[in-house]
Amino acid sequence: MVLRHLRRIKNKFASVVRRIFRKKKDVRIGLYGPVNSGKTTLANRICMDWLGEELGKVSVIPHETREIQIKERVTVRDNGKSLTFNLVDTPGIATKIDFEDFVKFGVKRKDAKQRAKEATRGVIEAIKWLDNMDMVLVVIDSTKNPISQVNITILGNLDARNTPLLIVSNKIDLKKSDTTRIRNAFPGYEVIGVSAKTGAMMNEFYKMLLKKL
Amino acid sequence: MLRIKLIPYEKLKRGNYSDLLKDLKEGTIIIVDAKLTPSEEADLIEETMKIISDRFSGIELSSLELTELKDTTRMDRFRNLIIEMILGKRRGLTIIGPAKIIRKIEKNPEELLLYM
Repeated sequence: MVLRHLRRIKNKFASVVRRIFRKKKDVRIGLYGPVNSGKTTLANRICMDWLGEELGKVSVIPHETREIQIKERVTVRDNGKSLTFNLVDTPGIATKIDFEDFVKFGVKRKDAKQRAKEATRGVIEAIKWLDNMDMVLVVIDSTKNPISQVNITILGNLDARNTPLLIVSNKIDLKKSDTTRIRNAFPGYEVIGVSAKTGAMMNEFYKMLLKKL
Repeated sequence: MLRIKLIPYEKLKRGNYSDLLKDLKEGTIIIVDAKLTPSEEADLIEETMKIISDRFSGIELSSLELTELKDTTRMDRFRNLIIEMILGKRRGLTIIGPAKIIRKIEKNPEELLLYM
């Protein structure tokens, strides 16, 4: 109990100190979420919209992003307001990684095992980087049940660190998409529905982003 | 044979997950008599990632917090806070199982459903 409280106090203190001493230009926005929720697709969309170049490779095979990827100095503008930040794309957080899942996608067993090993390191890195974020975009696949342990753990950890966050309900272009289900699952959080793939609702997303920071 | 072990939260409190992970690797499902904090959940995920291998693919976990179950009044919330301070843990339970045995845990605010 005491240890837990000390840890929480330490995290809050570190977060406040970080925000005071970090220059405005060093604002870090992280993309967090479960595997295959579309974090890198969203990162690519943001980077394409404002820098004209992509950040990372996307794939239907889970755990395509296995390392932290950063795009520096992305400037978003709307109605005379602007925000410059470093965009941090993180590997998807998972509680299990089975190399057999990659084999099902046609990856050779040896490569699948290597991919699994790299993916485990990626999850650890993503969790460690939670301490370094000024804001987090929690990317959730709106076609899936949002009440998953990974989503709950991510939101709980951001709350414990007092990190501002915005839930991005992604894949609204798909028929099964249900952003209301996400709003109902996590009341008290701001939720915006977008399609990172088609670009739908991205202008509203940028307006919300500018309002948050 | 399916093995289920009930353990007190106190065993995990100091962040020592080695016994827990050893049981999970051996195929035991663990029930903890409290809800883990978000930081404990993150620590457990990190420790799990370190031991994932060809034979052990990870875990499924989910928690129920008893105080979340009803629209409690302020008085109820205050009483729960006092109880938690005295007990030193969050009232609820956590189920952790090897991913090879528990394929999915479905959670709604009041129930946990395990698919095996």
